[in-house]
Amino acid sequence: MNLDVRSLRTFSRLAHSGAEKAAGSLTTLAGIDTYVNVTKVELGTKSDVESEFAERDLVSVHIGFSGGLDGHTVLAFSPESAERLVDALMPGIDATDAEGELAESSLKEVANIMLGGFIDGWADYLDTTVDITTPTYVDDENDGPLDHIEAEGFENGGDDEHVLVFRNQLEAADNAIEFDLYMVPTASSIGTIVEASGDDGALPVESFAAFSEMINDGANQASEDITAMTGIDTTVEVSRLSFVPIEGVPMSLTDAVRRGVVLEFSGTPSGYIAILFDEPSAENIASSLLPGMEGDEAMRQSAIQEIGNITTSGFLDGWANALETTIDISPPKHVHDIGSAIIDPLATDLAQSQEYAFLIDSTIRTDDDEFTCDIYALPDETELRKALKQLSPAA
Amino acid sequence: MQVYTTDTPAARSGRIKVGIADFAVSSDESTLTTSGLGSCIGVALYDPETGISGLAHAMLPNADDDSEPAKFVDTSVELLLEEMRAVGADTDRIVAKIAGGSTMFDFTSADGDGSIGDRNVAATRTALAGFGIDVVAEDVGGSHGRSLELESETGDLRVRSAKSGTHVL
Repeated sequence: MNLDVRSLRTFSRLAHSGAEKAAGSLTTLAGIDTYVNVTKVELGTKSDVESEFAERDLVSVHIGFSGGLDGHTVLAFSPESAERLVDALMPGIDATDAEGELAESSLKEVANIMLGGFIDGWADYLDTTVDITTPTYVDDENDGPLDHIEAEGFENGGDDEHVLVFRNQLEAADNAIEFDLYMVPTASSIGTIVEASGDDGALPVESFAAFSEMINDGANQASEDITAMTGIDTTVEVSRLSFVPIEGVPMSLTDAVRRGVVLEFSGTPSGYIAILFDEPSAENIASSLLPGMEGDEAMRQSAIQEIGNITTSGFLDGWANALETTIDISPPKHVHDIGSAIIDPLATDLAQSQEYAFLIDSTIRTDDDEFTCDIYALPDETELRKALKQLSPAA
Repeated sequence: MQVYTTDTPAARSGRIKVGIADFAVSSDESTLTTSGLGSCIGVALYDPETGISGLAHAMLPNADDDSEPAKFVDTSVELLLEEMRAVGADTDRIVAKIAGGSTMFDFTSADGDGSIGDRNVAATRTALAGFGIDVVAEDVGGSHGRSLELESETGDLRVRSAKSGTHVL
């Protein structure tokens, strides 16, 4: 299976317009204003997706589709969002009544309407017919939230097998209800769509997978370095490579205030990195690097810059090795601002020359969630393509 | 095909979210919101007589021929005005408030024309002047991010930043 930037764009457009149809359906059905926040085409493994579901305690409704396209779609909510949605659909009725069955049936109905709209969009584009199955409700009690889509979505059933996942973040009712709409087509269906959009300069999907593994390794190294330096025992929660319309990059962050550093890296590829902490995590770092000291703001800033430097080199050093190149890193610039506004200038700078971005995002955290660090890397698209070629099996 | 500009659904919750490279118009007392302006610029337009308001969140100064119009200052101002006029606003009465366009980082890519933030502010002034629209209040430049809320009924623009809290333009 080969992928190129043009087909990734097609995927992204399709997923976005499908998601808008889905959002429109909910607006009409429930009278709740629903917006599509970000549409991402992600290359992930089954274990990546499952760990995210487990981490966020997501409940979900699954619908399979077959015909011109085969695969599965999943509408996933946090339990709180699910309850608010049921309440908005049927005000006054206790959402958890009758052992949760009521919630189940209304969530299934919502999923049926939204996912149906979503799939229709794809079928229209490909001028084909797609049938959908009846919805299945899956809660977080189940062992593997994606178990029953194994047979089709993950061809060989391996946990480390890479698949394309289409993820749309939607919001409704003043951000009170958030949900993700996933679509996992089979490999042959991806092939169908790639063919429909032309395939000049396509790269084998293996080189994307190799890059994705390199990102994983980098995140693990960064996590080890943070632990070594601060004594805070961290692990990598998630590490992802996604393809996003450039304006969707800042929109994947909230406007919560974050502290951290921004750096430029140059080489093949060049681009930007932001290492961001929530405020309590930033405090944790400052106090673990300045033990027993009442550090002033300048000392705190330099502690954050120091950890930013360490994290960035941990994250990027492996890239340089794998790509047989050198990557230079600028001095870290300290930031303390609205999260989405920190990323906005980075995306905007790239927006001058590209409409889509490869967004790399990794989360490093402690088991108790007291410490979280998000790493966002935005490589230049053309240079990343060169780097990906380098990773091609044939290269 | 215009798939990236969110079609504004009928306002029922009283808040309309404007994404990045997006704009929206309200004629029914809704609040228009947009967040995470760094170098991006927010353009709030208000017709005091009808209470029709519009908010745009643009990324870059000037559009090329085939670019996505909502992403650029010049084309998004034009489209926003068009949509406001379509629901009854009058360009002669419309006033503007602008916020954003900061320069948070010194990127090596910046050329002699100044930062993207500065260029966005300049492009906004030019675009608005082209329609004879006065900028009656502004909070632009600097090196910090902003989030905005436009009360469409009054034209009040609330600007929130991480360090100095919220103030009204």
